[in-house]
Amino acid sequence: MSEQTEAFVTIGLEIHCQLLTKSKLFCQCATDYIGKEPNTLICPVCTGLPGSLPVLNAEALKLTIKTALALNCDILPQAVFYRKNYFYPDLPKGYQISQYDLPVGKDGFMEFSFQGKRKRVNIKRVHLEEDAGKLIHEGPDLPSSTSGVDFNRCGIPLVEIVTEPDLSSPEEAREFLNLLRRLVRYIGVSDGNMEEGSLRCDANVSVSLTGQSLGTKVEVKNMNSFRSVYKALKFEVERQREMLLNHQTIEQETRHWDEAKQVTVSARGKEEAEDYRYFPDPDLLPITIDSQLVEEIKNTLSELPLERKERLMVEYELTEGEAEVLTQEKEIADFFEECVKLMPKPQLICNWIVTEVRKNLNMMNQSIDKSKITPQKFVELLKLVEKKEITANIGKEILEEMFKSGLTAKEIIAKKGISMISSEKELEKIVFEVIEKNPQSVADYLSGKEKALHYLIGQVMRATRGQADPEMVKNILVKKLSGED
Amino acid sequence: MDIKEFKDFSLEDYQKLIKNREISVKELAQLFLQRIENVDPYLHAFLFVNRESILDEAQSLDEQLEKANPEEIPPLFGIPIAIKDNICTQNIPTTCASKILEGFIPPYDATVVSRLKAQGALILGKTNMDEFAMGSSTENSAFGPTRNPFDLNRVPGGSSGGSSACVSALEAPVSLGSDTGGSIRQPAAFCGVVGLRPTYGRVSRFGLVSFASSLDQIGPITRTVKDCVTIFEVISGKDEKDSTCAPYPAFQAQEIPSREEVKKLKVGLPREYFSEGVDSEIIESIQNTIDFLEKEGIKLVEVSLPHTVYALEAYYIVAPSEASSNLARYDGVLYGFRAQEAAELQEMYFKTRTQGFGKEVKRRIILGTYSLSSGYYDEFYLKGMKVRTLVRQDFEKAFEVCDLLLTPVSPCLPFLFGERTQDPYQMYLADVFTIPSAMAGIPALSINCGYARSLPVGLQIIGRPFQEGLLFGLGLLIEEGLALGAPFPEIPLRKENTYE
Amino acid sequence: MDPKINLEEIKKVAQLAKLSFKEEELQTFFEDINNIVSHFAKLEELDLENVSPTSHISWSTPPTNPDQPVQWPDYQKILERAPRVSGNYVIVPKIVDK
Repeated sequence: MSEQTEAFVTIGLEIHCQLLTKSKLFCQCATDYIGKEPNTLICPVCTGLPGSLPVLNAEALKLTIKTALALNCDILPQAVFYRKNYFYPDLPKGYQISQYDLPVGKDGFMEFSFQGKRKRVNIKRVHLEEDAGKLIHEGPDLPSSTSGVDFNRCGIPLVEIVTEPDLSSPEEAREFLNLLRRLVRYIGVSDGNMEEGSLRCDANVSVSLTGQSLGTKVEVKNMNSFRSVYKALKFEVERQREMLLNHQTIEQETRHWDEAKQVTVSARGKEEAEDYRYFPDPDLLPITIDSQLVEEIKNTLSELPLERKERLMVEYELTEGEAEVLTQEKEIADFFEECVKLMPKPQLICNWIVTEVRKNLNMMNQSIDKSKITPQKFVELLKLVEKKEITANIGKEILEEMFKSGLTAKEIIAKKGISMISSEKELEKIVFEVIEKNPQSVADYLSGKEKALHYLIGQVMRATRGQADPEMVKNILVKKLSGED
Repeated sequence: MDIKEFKDFSLEDYQKLIKNREISVKELAQLFLQRIENVDPYLHAFLFVNRESILDEAQSLDEQLEKANPEEIPPLFGIPIAIKDNICTQNIPTTCASKILEGFIPPYDATVVSRLKAQGALILGKTNMDEFAMGSSTENSAFGPTRNPFDLNRVPGGSSGGSSACVSALEAPVSLGSDTGGSIRQPAAFCGVVGLRPTYGRVSRFGLVSFASSLDQIGPITRTVKDCVTIFEVISGKDEKDSTCAPYPAFQAQEIPSREEVKKLKVGLPREYFSEGVDSEIIESIQNTIDFLEKEGIKLVEVSLPHTVYALEAYYIVAPSEASSNLARYDGVLYGFRAQEAAELQEMYFKTRTQGFGKEVKRRIILGTYSLSSGYYDEFYLKGMKVRTLVRQDFEKAFEVCDLLLTPVSPCLPFLFGERTQDPYQMYLADVFTIPSAMAGIPALSINCGYARSLPVGLQIIGRPFQEGLLFGLGLLIEEGLALGAPFPEIPLRKENTYE
Repeated sequence: MDPKINLEEIKKVAQLAKLSFKEEELQTFFEDINNIVSHFAKLEELDLENVSPTSHISWSTPPTNPDQPVQWPDYQKILERAPRVSGNYVIVPKIVDK
């Protein structure tokens, strides 16, 4: 029965992204903590030793402003830091330095199309805060009944983005989160890596059967991947809907996503005592954000991914899917447009990037700007293919080699002695041999079986180790078989 | 050598002795160590005496002196300095007179300490205080109180009681204290010495263990105004490690106006500071000074600071609120005291903090936590901040008609041990005249202006932000005019007064 | 404002501040706090409606850090001071509230 009953779902997201600064938010410890020995990137400030004082990393504030601008927020004239007071071993000062009623940015939005419809998600606030340390609850170093604290991550700058509850399904939330991740990566404020914890997401979910009023708000936490966000939201929506259908009351609470059991579980107990006693951090004077700085940052904000996608579609006559793939990363889109400047064949370039370039990048686990391929080298290769000096298949092989060695296509060709078997004479000889060896297939073809031709083409290609142009092979075969020659 | 010979010595005088090789740096250090040995069992001004390493360091300074041009040695070369125990000193314990930091040895120096060291000063020891600077009598030290050198049955004031008593008793030529609501000026007054609370932001707080961050300031406690200037020149000025520190250069003695210029200043007498609640003998002593100033031709005007009485209430909201958060870091996780036998985290938190903090600290933590808690923020903390605005405006208005304000430091003379501990509010009232200027962030100087019932009386000069030069100018004039000299209380070395 | 704090509130605040009190000391503590708080009623005399709060004393633009990592040379010294350490981790008793 429940399957058919419609439910009105509202979801709001709270996203934390680690900002791409080199040093921490209030001290100069390095931020590249991944893979480092515990408690080696620490100092008196980020471990809250008595007498230590915070000093703001100006770059972190700029990146926060950039994020807020990219989300169409109003930038407040002053950045005021507040203390959020609570005790936890990963929080060495007993409070987190965050922002409160005066965030860096507020009242923004993000627009995108979802299932063919235009969707607008309002952004409540964008603010800057410091990250906490990391706790481990098991491991070879831990004596029994203890937990271990590593403060390396403590004090790394985070931007927190809070949406209004404008998302109306787990699918939509997933799409939004994807686009947001793309955005922060695209504008270079965060690497948005959820698995490594540089992007974290909490959600508020409420379900109502009537849609006349909002349902009870339930907070869902502890979702550590894009997949788990989606699954947790799916689960939570269904859980609340079932409860409503059974006339049960939904409690306002915090629930944790249990990845192993694939359910959300109540995190009761902790919430009741929470009273964060926010107040302005007296160690940090409010910082004026002047309009000139905002303008400067605005100017560094290049075209945002959605705008660029639409422009690519119009300017180069690409499909939405193609433009989408190209604009998933700024570096890819930049690469594409660089190439088009060198060789005005957008469709060909797009096809190769969408398939071959991305395949290689994935294989090598690289981003295009860190790879050995430049637009110049890439275009040189494509020109060889276009002029039929090599076949597409050979081109693919060469590209892979270029990714590995960094050599140019011509260098690889010279080194490996690859050349296009383009002379018809040479090819005719091979075709002749294939015909000789496959009398049955020839007979089949002549009796009208088209498939047999494909088999014969395949045999020729095999004999030329893929170096022949398949189109040319086909023409020669057809000519020979029909006895035109 | 009898220490009494040095009673009226300034830092410059010590420097001359060292430069002229009349005394070695090591001998000077030994002299003060000996003095501490003699009187500190009675005073308990020190929580830690840097006995061993100061002699080594003194020795190495003496060796440097062999090779150096005596004219080029820095201004504090070889001067032993006592440091309040809430100011971090590398490799020397810093406990804030609290059990929760017992044995804590900072791995770094406070900015003020590194500046003193850079000028050749030696750390003589760490001085006693009210736990985390919360108190006005030094009775709240977890390690036992300090006694007033003028009367061992009386308190030295607080919270910089140790820093004031040791300078008064000449256990140290100078010291550093910290002032949140009067913690330099009130004990300086109680011990008959000079204390400066600088403009907020004039001296770096980096390395000062925070009590109330928006109020805390480090300042010198000295035997003369001149020495106060010398130390202030060294410790003041911008510091990139403290974002509340103003980005202006250090104070320079040239900022002090000439005597003639000082005589042209207009001095305001705020009527709220001469009210009924003030000990009549204190008023009398201040009046003598006023008479002297009038004779010198200084113009005196009556002014009003109408929010003075409210400042005290606002302070006891704002300061504990900040303190409740600043003291959250003492949780037993990373440093300091950790209660043993806690099976789980929450138990460790409760036991550590309950066993580690003293009564007054707990009282203020509770008060501050309450003021900030949801539902009470607007009624308490926000109100406190608003009153702070009114207090600042009071001073701004007053400074439209005068250049400096002259007031008593404290409404009362040094009181007996236990006299005010029963009623915490009575203790808070001891700060009523030092709190308003602290709330406004403006500078104030406390100097001795006489004695009443054989106890020192303190006078306070308050000025506009960054005008410490004017305070010193008037302070020097009064100091010279009253000619009281630096204190040298006879400390009766009776056995029953020995501090246990 | 009603300046009186009731005992339950004190207990709640003590929980927030991670402080515990024995029943017998709680009573005097409670009285002292209430005595102090009762004086706050004096602030009722003031009209604070249009007064802006002073949270900081600020004379100029505060300094900021450049985005440049600087390794603090003595990081081992922080662990040396910790009450309990194992394998570079700071060790705390097990956490049961989560």
